[in-house]
Amino acid sequence: MPLNQSMKGKEYQPVTVTVEREDVRRFADAIGEDNPLFRDSEAARAAGCAEQLAPPTFVTRMQIMTSAQVVLDRELGLNYALVVHGEQEYDWRRPIVVGEVLSTVPRIADIYSKKSNEYLVIEAEIKDARGETVVIGRTTLISRGTGEG
Amino acid sequence: MAATLKFDEVAVGDQIPPLSKVVRREDVKAYADASGDQNPLHQDDQFARSVGFPGIIAHGMFTMAHVVKAVTDWAGHPGALKSIDVQFRAVVFMDETLVARGEVAAKDEATRRVRLMVWAEVDRGGERVLPIKNSEAEVELA
Repeated sequence: MPLNQSMKGKEYQPVTVTVEREDVRRFADAIGEDNPLFRDSEAARAAGCAEQLAPPTFVTRMQIMTSAQVVLDRELGLNYALVVHGEQEYDWRRPIVVGEVLSTVPRIADIYSKKSNEYLVIEAEIKDARGETVVIGRTTLISRGTGEG
Repeated sequence: MAATLKFDEVAVGDQIPPLSKVVRREDVKAYADASGDQNPLHQDDQFARSVGFPGIIAHGMFTMAHVVKAVTDWAGHPGALKSIDVQFRAVVFMDETLVARGEVAAKDEATRRVRLMVWAEVDRGGERVLPIKNSEAEVELA
């Protein structure tokens, strides 16, 4: 079954998270990131940062929360068993800092068909408490075999 | 919060130092917990076999994080990384050695930004497999 094209542009519930020190430490451990900037406020300050940083791809944690809403949306008609993650894009304006509050309104940026597959692009512009953009994530999921071709 | 690597010290065609790691089951489990992506494809061998794989596979984003580390280690600071766009093209199995690589494709004097081609390689029984290919990162250097 093809995806519901009329869902293009749909916005989902806002997602807000606090960047917790413990979550950042666990994430750094999981990806084998030993840079002290991600582990220690003192080291980060000594290097000229205001606070301990999160690794750039820590944003993935938030992106997974946002994508879940879209993937589980029955109106969209996505069969998760057919889905593979095709492409991921991040556009950073600045590093993520421990302790800050980030929020985003995920949206379906595009739905298109190429050969026998369909492509679903989920975009999340992640902003800080002042409303300034920190990072923009674009996730392309491939729905295998549901296209027209 | 800037790169330590100097723009003038970099030339088109330069390779960044390759970054290798063996992908362990416990790392993939730790990544599932740390990222929140609990898809059984990355944790449950029986499930992975039911969809045609010999066993669990690593998260694409786990591989991407390794490529990002290779780039930011080279630039000298995580804040140097401005954007990345990766294409996932093959899966990674447990105990395989993942190698992240990159090459300088272009330099922009005005912004001191450098565009890298980035990819990830696995040697699978003598065959070179690219879990990430045709991908790009942009880095602002000192």
